[in-house]
Amino acid sequence: MGKYILRRAFQMIPVFLGVTLLLFILTTVIPGDPVAIRAGERALSPAARAAFVEKYNLDAPLHEQYFTYLGGLLSGDLGESYRQNREVSQIYLDLYPNTARLALAAIFVEVIIGIAAGIISAIKRYSLLDVLVTLSTSILVSLPVFWLGMLMQVFFGIKFKEWGLPYLPISGMGDPPDLIHLVMPAITLASVSTAYVARIMRSQLLEVMGQDYIRTAIAKGLTDGAVVRRHALKNALIPVVTFIGLDLGAMMSGAILTETIFNWPGVGYAIFAAIGQRDWPVVMGGVVLIVIVVMVINLLVDISYALLDPRIRYERRAV
Amino acid sequence: MALLQVNDLRTHFFTRDGLVKAVDGVTFSLDKGETLGVVGESGSGKSVTAMSIMRLTPDPPGKVVGGEVLYKGADILTMSAAEVRDLRGNRISMVFQDPMTSLNPVYRVGEQIGEAIRIHKKATKREAFERAVELLDLVGIPNPRSRAKDFPHQFSGGMRQRAMIAMALACDPDILIADEPTTALDVTIQAQILELMMSLQERTGAAIIMITHDLGIVADMADRMLVLYAGRPVEYGTAREVFYSPLHPYTWGLLESLPRQDIEGKGELHPIKGQPPSLIDVPTGCSFHPRCPYATAICSAELPETRIIEDGHSVACHFAGEAGFTRGNAVKTKGVV
Amino acid sequence: MGALMRDDKTTSANDPMQPTAPPTAGEAAQVASKRSGKSRTLWSDATRRLRRNRLAMIGLAWIFIIVVIALSADLWAPQWLGSPSEFDSTTMGELKHLPPSAEHPFGTDKRGLDVASRIVYGSRYSLAVGIIATSIALSIGLVMGTLAAYYGGFIDSLVMRLADVFLAFPYILFAIALIAVLGRGFVNLFIAIGVLAWPTIARVVRSSILSVKENEYVDAARALGASDIRIMLRHMLPNAMAPIIVYGTMSIGGAILSEAALSFLGLGVQFPDPSWGHMLSEARGEMISYPWLMIFPGAAILTTVLAFVLLGDGLRDALDVKMKD
Repeated sequence: MGKYILRRAFQMIPVFLGVTLLLFILTTVIPGDPVAIRAGERALSPAARAAFVEKYNLDAPLHEQYFTYLGGLLSGDLGESYRQNREVSQIYLDLYPNTARLALAAIFVEVIIGIAAGIISAIKRYSLLDVLVTLSTSILVSLPVFWLGMLMQVFFGIKFKEWGLPYLPISGMGDPPDLIHLVMPAITLASVSTAYVARIMRSQLLEVMGQDYIRTAIAKGLTDGAVVRRHALKNALIPVVTFIGLDLGAMMSGAILTETIFNWPGVGYAIFAAIGQRDWPVVMGGVVLIVIVVMVINLLVDISYALLDPRIRYERRAV
Repeated sequence: MALLQVNDLRTHFFTRDGLVKAVDGVTFSLDKGETLGVVGESGSGKSVTAMSIMRLTPDPPGKVVGGEVLYKGADILTMSAAEVRDLRGNRISMVFQDPMTSLNPVYRVGEQIGEAIRIHKKATKREAFERAVELLDLVGIPNPRSRAKDFPHQFSGGMRQRAMIAMALACDPDILIADEPTTALDVTIQAQILELMMSLQERTGAAIIMITHDLGIVADMADRMLVLYAGRPVEYGTAREVFYSPLHPYTWGLLESLPRQDIEGKGELHPIKGQPPSLIDVPTGCSFHPRCPYATAICSAELPETRIIEDGHSVACHFAGEAGFTRGNAVKTKGVV
Repeated sequence: MGALMRDDKTTSANDPMQPTAPPTAGEAAQVASKRSGKSRTLWSDATRRLRRNRLAMIGLAWIFIIVVIALSADLWAPQWLGSPSEFDSTTMGELKHLPPSAEHPFGTDKRGLDVASRIVYGSRYSLAVGIIATSIALSIGLVMGTLAAYYGGFIDSLVMRLADVFLAFPYILFAIALIAVLGRGFVNLFIAIGVLAWPTIARVVRSSILSVKENEYVDAARALGASDIRIMLRHMLPNAMAPIIVYGTMSIGGAILSEAALSFLGLGVQFPDPSWGHMLSEARGEMISYPWLMIFPGAAILTTVLAFVLLGDGLRDALDVKMKD
């Protein structure tokens, strides 16, 4: 097990180097005078320009800049924003909790609704409920999430208020942040994944229910409920848990669309805005952080997968 | 009263491609401590018969459409779900063909063996585990206490089948149904498993229904034999009668295709020609007629009735019982069974 | 489809769309399948099953209708509904923000342009991005996946690590960055969406080729002296076709969603070109007073993507493709 984790961790290194390198190249191949672009639209006096170049070490050869940046990374230094006069690490220290909050709330929705819908639809296969679940998951994966967010804002935010019903806030996190502001963003962000979870859960459960060991369990005299609970669910949940884990990683990398719609101050929107402003240290820092978070979560998913499935745990097989 | 009496059992599958009469009129009886061999090619309805007894046929598409399965006089087919559950794994248990897939990969072997005891005997986890260790010892697994904590993938194929047998025996059942228990195993392991089953039968007194496509396997074990073809019983009798004075041409074919030296005058194998029929368009008349070397016009026209030749020996063939037909064509077997 | 279809997602996780196991009918089902296998080939069998799938047929019909609308728009849309992009500043005041009516079935926008006409013309961009981006993704993915699977070893690790790098990026952010490099405009948008979708396709191609690589007919072809290229094109690809078709269909829907999202963020198609995503972006500020500005473009995206999803699902079931990463 220890060896397995170690090997997975080592596999992350080339991916991480690849990502940072690719990103670094991306920020330097953008056409135009690098200093002017990096400084944004401000017109710079020669002195200010020299100071800018000096400050960000921009006249060093590119590979040197890259290694300087990597060196900084290792000591936790993500550089300083071109625009905001703040440490990049400080910016994300402020924003990451917001992203994590939204991600966890969305995962909560996804787990509860997705798994329940999947189980019901598998157990009541071909029933009206099953058809409804299948159809709504197809619709959910086809729905532009930002449109779903907008529809909910108009309906549950504006119209409910007009009709004198209890309504939901349509923007921001609340001050201080509260749960009611989390409802619509979380549902919006969770919508597609919930559909996926329901689909995986359904198909996995149906597949497991056709396995020989389920027949063995029935032949032992277990009730239908016990067969599903004790023998089918644990096997069927393995891929579902994997998906949810990877999805958590994806959500932790920010949700640009959801954040945009609901004015949610998260990392996704911050990076998006920074790209528009050519604020490369913020972009680089944000993506690097995201990639680290995602890779760590993926590693945790691999480990939990191994814990759930004894075949992997004991064979110590590489994935 | 027989322990298990199956009368005119009919299990049909309503598939998209048509109606499949997987089991069509199977009748047999099983006494306490007896072994019944059910023999036939794949698709002959052996497994579906076994599943129907336990009410395990997948529905849809399968449905038991007729007949009765009397366990100690009570019809399993009309019991409530709870009553059937009470029998399953408790009074009647089953060993399946493929031990690789029949054990749940995410539970420890001991837990899976103990599960039936916990359900039926209301045993505690501890008691069930102790009993599982005992059972593993009984089926010849070394270091049963530590092996009970292993997961199925840590067992070899033969060991898994031993574990499956232990699981089936957990509640001292009256009837053990073994559905091709050795087919998926190496030949050397096959003999060990069969031997184990026989010795366990002596100790526990359980009746066994041994389902196999290999006549050789049941010849050694069975008290009675039932030969199925395309869902219908073609010959039924004591093992001695079916083996020494077989009456149906299909049984002759099965005997001739056995790689044994005790069939007179034949050193080589004679497999039955042709393929088992599709169960969707079963041949008219006697379903064996396209492959039967002795078939005449009547065979393709009329379904042969089951005739009782002697007490307890019945056969479904138009010519069965005609002394000349049998004497002239039947295979001769000799020696000890 | 993995990364493509999902909003703010980074990785393409285990693909959830696994087919459901057929009911085990024991020996009976075996006999039945043996029988059908004899008389029908894979493809005609698949066509028959697809035709029987009502939802997939509805999807196919809808795709057909949209293609006809997109191709024939010039013949009727401007005359009947009005121009999708040219507006007259003198009449703009009285024509703007009209609610749906017989004359303007989906109402008009802030410039007095007919929303229905813009949606009709917007279908061209959606279909174009779906087809072009998917073609790009398929071309890169096919080459990469085939090379990785066929040669294995170092090339395989190299290609798959490269795919990992691409998948480790937050998808939308990567697209945004790529557009920042390439410049705005819909051609670049198509390229960005297509380029970013290759790793998923490459993985599918790789795994389906690996599954046929071990087959004896490949060995037989090699023994007969067939060249690598010939073996790849003639023997391996055709047998890996089914999952590629399924993923291809689904990634068309995914690409349409991506275009909508990026245009919504202001990075894709710009006014006066009509794009459904951009229409939603413009509607956002006015959606409370003029809800039709938001409802119809969104419905257009939803139904079009849904059509591809339903068709993809149907193809998956018909071709019996197991979907996994």
